[in-house]
Amino acid sequence: MKYFKAAVLFVASLSVSACGDISDKTVDQNFGDGSSGDLSQMTAGIWVDPEGCEHWLIDDGLEGYADLRRTPDGKPVCNSELPRNTATGPYKNGSTFLDVL
Amino acid sequence: MLNFKAKAAFAGLTAATVALTLLTAPLQAQEPRTVVGERYVPTIWVDPDGCEHWVMDDGAEGFMSPHVTPDGKPVCRRGNICGIMPTDQFFATNQHAINSAGKKRLQEFFKSANARTFVIAGHTDSRASDEYNVRLSERRANAVARVGRSVGARISDVRAYGEREPSVPNTSAANMAKNRRVEIYCLR
Repeated sequence: MKYFKAAVLFVASLSVSACGDISDKTVDQNFGDGSSGDLSQMTAGIWVDPEGCEHWLIDDGLEGYADLRRTPDGKPVCNSELPRNTATGPYKNGSTFLDVL
Repeated sequence: MLNFKAKAAFAGLTAATVALTLLTAPLQAQEPRTVVGERYVPTIWVDPDGCEHWVMDDGAEGFMSPHVTPDGKPVCRRGNICGIMPTDQFFATNQHAINSAGKKRLQEFFKSANARTFVIAGHTDSRASDEYNVRLSERRANAVARVGRSVGARISDVRAYGEREPSVPNTSAANMAKNRRVEIYCLR
């Protein structure tokens, strides 16, 4: 297990160091983290914050994204019946990266 | 009394002049300058509601921010307002009781919408006072929420905008009719 973690870290450091100049910010930059490709194709789950408002949550391998969910009038989606401080749905679809590190 | 008003007006005027000079001072000092920065061109990620977010991958980091109009509303690809009730078909003028045919239609809507929860937002046209319109739109939105709850729908919020968020300018009878509405947002 320790060797595996070290290997993953090594691959991660390689992919990070290989990114000295990233002009195209619209695609996933890290290979070997289970996701690569256009950022528009990511799948999200829902995370409910401590006060009950919903956020989109995406785990795209090495990167993570979150953004507020809003209704068309611009207000947040709150009073969620989903449990607070909890993420649900397919937010890890884009990742095989070991998050226990 | 008059004297007091004149004094107040004078004070206001002085304050305005001060503010004006403050505003113009940095403008006069402004010179052409070079902006030092790095090019960050985002792509667009569309959330399950159909609304757009700016997203960038910078290597080990990722960045995301909502795509909004200048008044803070999300930019969405499909009309993600799942139900718009023209209030003329459901309520009499200045009333908030829903007629029985309207109740039936609404019950069907809530049952078939296939949503986890709903948000209800009431709107009016611009006639009558702003305060009155906010209260009228609140009573109507609450009436719609009650119908939803009666068939087991979960209503997570009821909002009352009165005349403050018209969908079209209140310039004709037809436009005003369009602004008299209750919007239902379906959250899946």
